[in-house]
Amino acid sequence: MSRAEVDLQISVKKACNTDEVPPKRKHVRACIVYTWDHKNSRAFWNAVKIQPLQSDQVQSFKALIMIHKVLQEGHPNTLKDGYRNRDFISSLATIFPSQGTAYGRLINQYDKFILKKLDFHRNNPGFNGTFEYEEYISLRAVHDPNEGYDSILQLMDLQDLIDDFQKLIFATIHQTPNNLCKVSALVPLIAESYGIYKFCISMLRALYQQLGSDEALAGLVERFESQHFMLRDFFTDCHGIKFLTSLVTIPRLANNPPNVQASDGGSAPISR
Amino acid sequence: MSKIVRSIKNVASGYSSVQVLVRNATSNDPSGPTTYDMEEISSYTYTSQTDFMEIMDMLDRRLNDKGKNWRHVAKSLTVLDYLVRFGSEKCVLWSKDNLYIIKTLREFIHIDEADNDQGAIIRVKAKELVSLLRDDERLRHERSLAADAKDGRRSR
Repeated sequence: MSRAEVDLQISVKKACNTDEVPPKRKHVRACIVYTWDHKNSRAFWNAVKIQPLQSDQVQSFKALIMIHKVLQEGHPNTLKDGYRNRDFISSLATIFPSQGTAYGRLINQYDKFILKKLDFHRNNPGFNGTFEYEEYISLRAVHDPNEGYDSILQLMDLQDLIDDFQKLIFATIHQTPNNLCKVSALVPLIAESYGIYKFCISMLRALYQQLGSDEALAGLVERFESQHFMLRDFFTDCHGIKFLTSLVTIPRLANNPPNVQASDGGSAPISR
Repeated sequence: MSKIVRSIKNVASGYSSVQVLVRNATSNDPSGPTTYDMEEISSYTYTSQTDFMEIMDMLDRRLNDKGKNWRHVAKSLTVLDYLVRFGSEKCVLWSKDNLYIIKTLREFIHIDEADNDQGAIIRVKAKELVSLLRDDERLRHERSLAADAKDGRRSR
């Protein structure tokens, strides 16, 4: 084993230790940087697999946060490697009972979301891990409305899962100092939900330009608008947590959903 | 005191004069880097390929430094931001190739003994630099402004 792999193993081990605190950013960052330096993530997954995750719930939960972060920010190949390890990831959900202890449910829900995310990226390889705005995706949706329609539906399914999960997190936060571990799972969710939101807007606009006011789109717009309100409430809740506001920029959404039928196309790219 | 230790380390590790320059500019001293420091570093990015590589290699190491040395990271971001505006075109290419190094610093955290989060400054700098590197038009504009400013200084 090379020196870099040994260092990586140490980082993974430290990122998901048993302390009930957020996974340390420096260790997670080391994993992300490794996948870029080596353009693959095989060693990362191997290192995750040898951790004793089944022995401790906090450890499992932290591992999921770390996996999510590495999928988001790591080299694009990480998403492909992640899909190959789908069975391993789905096995994490079965270790702890999803009833009873809070972490069991959180792990279960988080796992479901990550699996869905991996499936989505496999079906739509044009998207990167954080759903950063890239023009060509919405252009392609215009050329092939069926595919665009399908992608939007899948994006909205992901958005719903994020929403379920964030509600569960907020429901389990109590007035204890150990909260930050749970709260830190919101960090990647904020970035991801906002990226999905931006994509939905630009793709819906592109579809409207192509098809005009089609009846088939009315259902999508209705669902989009309800997700807008969900997301607005989610971000408002996050604004109340100092840990989050100091760490990431939380976008503020307008009170009313943007008009996707207007053809101004003036949606600015995501700034983080 | 730390200055003496650093000068010994510079000799012991066999750093080149350009690398020593970068190391001094991105040290743990609470002040600096000065505009003069950064001007000098940026001028070396125009000379030889070796000088350029040595500068970038040293910045790379400083950017990946641990939390205790958060000043290394913060100052390296300052220098890199200057190089992207005033340095040779190669600095821009390097930064874009290695964007993930800067991007992942947007969530940098370091809590010092007094319980202050010193990472805030790094998060802001990293965010600003990433948005500059992503916006080609603005980057071109900033670089032409920088070039004008440099010419102005020279003719003065």
